[in-house]
Amino acid sequence: MKLDSSRSLLIRLFILAVVVLVAPMTLISLRAMGEFEQGMNPEMDKKAAAIGRDVAAQVDRAVGYGIPVDKLVGVEEFFAPVLTANPEIRYLAITDKIGRVLFLRGAEKDELEPHYQAADLEMSSAEGIKASIGTYLDLALPVAPRGNLIAHVHVGFDQGYVVSKLHDILYDVLVVMAASLIIAFEILLFVVFFNVTGPLKLVGEVVERARHGDLSHVPGGASGDEVGRFVRAVAASIRNVDDLYRQLMAYIDEVRTAHFDKGVVEKVGDVEARISFQFRFSNTGKPLVLHQRRATDIRLPLFLFVFAEELSRAFMPLYVREVGQSLFGLSPEMIMALPIAVFMACIALASPFSSRLIDRLGARRVFLIGLVPAIAGYVMTGAAVGVIDLVLWRAITGLGYALVTMACQSYILGANHHSNRSQGMGVFVGAVLTASICGTAMGGVLAERVGFRATFFVSAVLVLLAGIVISHMLDSAAPPAAVAPQPRRNTMRLFTNWRFSVLMLFAAVPSKMALTGFLFFLVPVILTQGDWQVAEIARMVVLYPLVMVVVLPLAARLAEYPGWRIALVALGGLIGGGGLLTSLFLPSELSMMIAIAALGLSHGLSASPQLAMIPDLCWTECRNMGQTNVLAFVRLVERIGSTVGPLLAAAFIPVWGVDGAVVALGGVVLAMAVLFAGASLAYGTGPHIEAEEDLA
Amino acid sequence: MRRRDILAGLAGLGAAAACAAPAVAAPEKRAKPFRIYMALFRGWEECAQGFKDYFTNQGIPVELIVRDAAQDKSKLPEFVAEAKSLGVDLVFTWGTTVTQEMLGTIDSVDPTKHITHIPAVFAIVSQPVGSKMVPNLKSSGRNITGTSYLVPIETQVNLIQSYRPLNRLGIVYNTLEKNSVGAVDELTELGKQMNFTISAVPVDLVDGKPSVTTIPAKVAKVKADGVDFLYIPPDTFLNVNRDILTQAALDQKLPTFAAAENPVLNSMALFGGVYRYYTVGQLTAYKAEQILVHKKAPADIPIDPPKRLSLIINMPVVRQLGFYPPMNLLGLAEINDPDARP
Repeated sequence: MKLDSSRSLLIRLFILAVVVLVAPMTLISLRAMGEFEQGMNPEMDKKAAAIGRDVAAQVDRAVGYGIPVDKLVGVEEFFAPVLTANPEIRYLAITDKIGRVLFLRGAEKDELEPHYQAADLEMSSAEGIKASIGTYLDLALPVAPRGNLIAHVHVGFDQGYVVSKLHDILYDVLVVMAASLIIAFEILLFVVFFNVTGPLKLVGEVVERARHGDLSHVPGGASGDEVGRFVRAVAASIRNVDDLYRQLMAYIDEVRTAHFDKGVVEKVGDVEARISFQFRFSNTGKPLVLHQRRATDIRLPLFLFVFAEELSRAFMPLYVREVGQSLFGLSPEMIMALPIAVFMACIALASPFSSRLIDRLGARRVFLIGLVPAIAGYVMTGAAVGVIDLVLWRAITGLGYALVTMACQSYILGANHHSNRSQGMGVFVGAVLTASICGTAMGGVLAERVGFRATFFVSAVLVLLAGIVISHMLDSAAPPAAVAPQPRRNTMRLFTNWRFSVLMLFAAVPSKMALTGFLFFLVPVILTQGDWQVAEIARMVVLYPLVMVVVLPLAARLAEYPGWRIALVALGGLIGGGGLLTSLFLPSELSMMIAIAALGLSHGLSASPQLAMIPDLCWTECRNMGQTNVLAFVRLVERIGSTVGPLLAAAFIPVWGVDGAVVALGGVVLAMAVLFAGASLAYGTGPHIEAEEDLA
Repeated sequence: MRRRDILAGLAGLGAAAACAAPAVAAPEKRAKPFRIYMALFRGWEECAQGFKDYFTNQGIPVELIVRDAAQDKSKLPEFVAEAKSLGVDLVFTWGTTVTQEMLGTIDSVDPTKHITHIPAVFAIVSQPVGSKMVPNLKSSGRNITGTSYLVPIETQVNLIQSYRPLNRLGIVYNTLEKNSVGAVDELTELGKQMNFTISAVPVDLVDGKPSVTTIPAKVAKVKADGVDFLYIPPDTFLNVNRDILTQAALDQKLPTFAAAENPVLNSMALFGGVYRYYTVGQLTAYKAEQILVHKKAPADIPIDPPKRLSLIINMPVVRQLGFYPPMNLLGLAEINDPDARP
């Protein structure tokens, strides 16, 4: 996160926000959880007793009809709905008089039987006997038709159930707290940059110019507050000086025309020359108003927008499955993957169109235009009735997403035209990553508490907020500097540069394939099969941007040394592919965690160097076609990978199952990474090779 | 899946009203009761009782003129004449034979031989459409209506499968009765969809009549054919000889499923999925009430079964066979257990 030069102020503000938000939230959460825990235990006891009595009564009835207790039929099927309806009950069992397990569902016989046989249940009262067996809490209720004890019904609770429920809530609270903090901080950043730091920097710039004698500009965009008054005061002072200058000039002219004394005219001419030498004034008759576009201005709306999209990150395939399961005879997996792929494809297809639109209308208007399909897309996705319309709504959302994110990038590039471009892109990536962390995690919590559909409506509201911010903010800013549209050439020619092609096909494309195919599609599908809650899935998915946010700045720094770039890209590819293959020899959940973290590490390592390599690899092309066009083409090719990823993963599932699909996808990614590493080792790296090529 | 549907359906049915009897405002006391001519075939039984009780419970005064043909078809023309001469308000007919003979089928109705001017309700007709009593179940198109009482055959098979998996189903049947033959055809067809096979063995005919004495041998033959269950179709001959049939099955250790309640309640069939005769009688009386009290035309009243399906399990047979019902089924079934312990 680039905190700019007002770092210390921001840090202090952030600490203030933490103190103000965290303390009361922690207090309230702790109290609520205490009450939850107190209320939960007796409730669980009551429930166990009620369920146990009900089961025992039915066993009693069956036995009463003369069915021997060990000959009962369909007991497991009889237990199943009870266990499904009451997730806190881990098992149900029936034991005979001497504690042998006759029927059991939900636990291993060996765990329980020794205990039952050791326990003296003969004397058990109608209320039953409670016992602790390992991690279970066992309630034994007697089955005694006509007072003759023949069996026991056992209800087994997970002792950790309350604790795990509490953990779930705790995680949710933490996620919400962390996300609120980040949101608060984003708003703070925005307020500070937009209202205080920005105008002050502008004034600073003007004053700095004035110090060097340049009085041609006054700071613009003054607001109604103290800062604005200050800005106006500075502007007024400069205008004052400017007025005096013009009066002086007028007087000099007068002297020149009226006096014929050569000495006086010469003297006056000297004065004028001295003034012109030492000071610069606007030659339009009055000082020009200086506006400055800052990359940070766009950060909050961009954050809100990406936040909205990320809300559904952890559950999109699950939502698709809920909405509809059949479409043109496609496999259910393919149907789940389809909206993700279509969304990505739409972004890819809409990107060239978006950049042309931005050239014509400017970033701000394209941002606002893009909000329309985005909002409509989210609302309709939330109200989708079938797969076909869901795919359509996602396509529309993708169009909006392309328009808005491209507009933001263009704004940032325009804002940093003269200064550090990579710092500007840092703002973009920073906003996207923090939004991804908050959005994914919050989305999981939201989906679990209010449902999938309502979460999409929240997305729509967030996008609307982004729109409100941007329309207010960029109102006052100057119209976009007319960027001369770059000539468009046949960018496909780039593929004739084989170094470029290798980078694209064996590094950029597989890395996106892994992202969308594995993280966006397979992870929710697999984890939900393991009975994971949506909020838990979301917390898992968040690992990816979390690791990335840590690694990215380090890798970006390393990428400044050209020698490191190709190595980082190769290493990233190998780590990402290797991570996916861990499920071959590790338990599913652990391997999943490793794979996600590895993917974050992989992309964190390779993203910046990959981008930084382009101008080196395509030195001539960049000069001929324009770097912007080349980079846009890179994005387009990457998005092909994004589109193929989920479809490929979905195609693997019927063949090898979901876990097999992860391995297969990992195999593909790793194979490509190995090829890339091999190619880069064989043909070397380093700037001098490129330099030689350039000369050739 | 199918099995769970059935169980859920049963559970739902348990909560539903016993029959379609709505809360009808008690009609004003009539000095003269309605006169209903009840033509029965096998004597006074549960359906007739349900029919009668409905009027008592609803406070509708009726005078019932009860006649029993005692399975003798030749008596029926006398009944027609008597009902006409008495000038009753409504005729109630029991069973396919009585209904066909007294009311006439759609293609053979004759005002001289059948009752046409007096409205009539029928009950315990296995296939109202198949036996040509009505063109469809929505409307008879004439001066009669009635109830059906057979559980759809697919539902019956689902019930059997919810007891134990079914691969091969045995039927001993009477080729002279349409009900039996129809059931064999339907089950053969259904078996193709639901993946089970049929072993159907007809009872021998002696002098053009089905022979009672051959029943045990036929049951043994079916058993030897490796069936999982013996299916008892709604057949009068088998119903009359149900004790011999079910005893034979019991001797062969063959579980039996009955499409009607008698073999389960009053004999030794293992279980059955039925609409209770008593409930059918009540529903028939409700339709009679619509005609007599609410003056609805019989043609406007559809022919339908009761809402509530009963799964009856015959516990003494269960114990004898040691062939126990699954817990889930037990929870939903009506248990017939005369020597139940307290």
